[in-house]
Amino acid sequence: MSNAARQTDEIVIEVGQRHIREVNQDIMAACATGRPIRVVNTLSRHNLGVGLPDNVDITFEGSVGYYCGGLNTGANITIERNCGWAAGEGMAKGHITIGGYAGMSCGAAMIGGTIHVKGDAGPRVGVAMKGGNIVVEGKIGYQSGFMAHAGRIIALGGAGESCADALWQGEVWVAGGIDSLGVDVDVIEPTPEEVAEVDAILDPLGLVDSSRNWRKLVSGQRLWYFESRDASAWLMI
Amino acid sequence: MAHDLSKPYDYPFDVASEDEIRFRDAGAVDGRPAGVPSSYDEGGSTRWTPEAISEVHALAQLGRYQVRGYNTFNKQMPTFDDLTFVPATMTRLPLEGYRESCDTTTVLGGGRGLVERPLELKIPIYIASMSFGALSASAKASLGYGASKVGTMTCTGEGGMLEEEREASQRLLYQMSPARYGVDLDHLRRADALEIVVGQGAKPGTGGLLLGMKVSPRVSEMRTLPEGVDQRSTIRHPDFLGADDLAVKIEELRIATNYQVPIFIKMGATRPRFDVAVAAKAGADVVVVDGAEGGTGASPELLLNHTGIPTMSAIRAAREALDECGMSGKVSLVAAGGIRSGVDAAKCLALGADAVMIGNAAMVALGCNSPRYLEDYQALGTSPGACHHCHTGRCPVGVATQDPDLEARMNPNAGAERVARYLTAMTMEITALAKACGKSSVHNLETEDLRALSFQASAFTGVKMAGIDRAYDW
Repeated sequence: MSNAARQTDEIVIEVGQRHIREVNQDIMAACATGRPIRVVNTLSRHNLGVGLPDNVDITFEGSVGYYCGGLNTGANITIERNCGWAAGEGMAKGHITIGGYAGMSCGAAMIGGTIHVKGDAGPRVGVAMKGGNIVVEGKIGYQSGFMAHAGRIIALGGAGESCADALWQGEVWVAGGIDSLGVDVDVIEPTPEEVAEVDAILDPLGLVDSSRNWRKLVSGQRLWYFESRDASAWLMI
Repeated sequence: MAHDLSKPYDYPFDVASEDEIRFRDAGAVDGRPAGVPSSYDEGGSTRWTPEAISEVHALAQLGRYQVRGYNTFNKQMPTFDDLTFVPATMTRLPLEGYRESCDTTTVLGGGRGLVERPLELKIPIYIASMSFGALSASAKASLGYGASKVGTMTCTGEGGMLEEEREASQRLLYQMSPARYGVDLDHLRRADALEIVVGQGAKPGTGGLLLGMKVSPRVSEMRTLPEGVDQRSTIRHPDFLGADDLAVKIEELRIATNYQVPIFIKMGATRPRFDVAVAAKAGADVVVVDGAEGGTGASPELLLNHTGIPTMSAIRAAREALDECGMSGKVSLVAAGGIRSGVDAAKCLALGADAVMIGNAAMVALGCNSPRYLEDYQALGTSPGACHHCHTGRCPVGVATQDPDLEARMNPNAGAERVARYLTAMTMEITALAKACGKSSVHNLETEDLRALSFQASAFTGVKMAGIDRAYDW
């Protein structure tokens, strides 16, 4: 983006080879001003923008490494290009846009908010997630949704192998091909009402397309229990 | 002189009657014929013991492994009783056990100089990671208050931060298990230390287990789980795989908590010589090594009995690993697993631990296995002193349960006081031994203060054999 296009009140933070602690301190200080933040020369460094607060608008120019936007509590984060592992891990609230590709474990264990990946995502998207939405315009990698407790993973460009493996109450929505299903998955044709719920997530991202052939993957609940839910069955015999 | 085999030999007397030959004389006892060893009655097979036969019968009925709580029943595990202290005599000077002071202050996580608030505990013991879920909320709070009274710490366990425990514990270690139940940035920042769990002594290599009877509405909400499911947790973390990634993860947690609090890594003891070195390299401030004797609320029984290495051997290996990489003093070492008393704890310190944590022992102080509500022990098929039914959630004394009626059987205020007194008594035991060994700080206890009473203990630890003063060697 050219300098002319930048917002005039934007705070620019240089990463380069500076200590990541110092960079993050600058980011936190900038967050306190309420002004938009642009982080430049990111060099795919790890741990940029960890634990950001609410009401923050921050853009990472270029690509970032692991855990960008991790433990986010409300910031609106834009990563212009690609991200490494576990972008937005543990995020509770906020919005992360990834302009390019996402590495492994995007949105791992997230609790809330939305992650939007414009390219493909690596394996284990939304692993152990507890809530929120992950929208991937491309394909999601193998074992995506592994043991997702709650929340939705929405893949518009298909899914890799072992998709939706061992889910709790999380859902994986796939438009496009699925290389293979994980264990204990039920494939459901969603109702129009359910599709409308997903479209409501996609609408603000400009991604609604009524021609999609959705498959909704949920837990078959066969892994939820040993054979008995009765305490007496668990006494030693 | 060779016999002539062609001619039968004849005694120079009459052959005795068959009854006489077979000991069926007047002194014979019915049902106990001579020539039948007593082991024929008792079952002398070393392979097919009554336990082994019962195990086959159980598996044949269940079609699954047995699940239970508590800790290992493997009889081959050494005990700390295999070690003895050799106090100061002629070559060393003891301190006055009843009069002189002995420092018990324990600082964890300050060695790298990276964090603002290293943990300063008044005693070298803290309460191990036991989750809300495994234990009742009252039990968690009691542990917190008891620990606070004596200036030490409790740990959340993997179930997320319980408000009652945060309120009760002046120092609270916040655990991040692979399943990341209830992870919340605010909780991270309200914690006094963070712990990344890569395994536990009771079942290294396997994730946590909480049967449906204990997945109550509150537990299910805190863990974002369907109510009543058999929660079988992950063991691999969702966002890192190996040590290089873990180093980045640790940095992330430091940033999230603004370099305020130490980061622990907890592991089950398997290959501590390498695992501890790797954890130190990954950037941990404190490494917790949990031996195979460590307890649990529920586990496949085979893992309790047949995985991991003894605590005593793990401590020596861990300390030597830290020494070898020059990380002793920079990284603190906590030991756990089967510690029942201040004596056991003192032995762990002497073997090389900077602090110990107690889980089962703290539960017992709360009232676990106390001889009350006998009919409820009987309903579980057990008795006080033998109960290991934490997994059922039907704890007769209200410690390891989510049932409100059972929970009410433990008076939390009394429980807190018992925990405080028990920790105080343990600390006195440690200082008594330290002073006898001439140490003005419990952290000055050393391996030289110990001797082994068994080849096994000497071989496991490198502690010298009693008397001969040489370690059992190959």
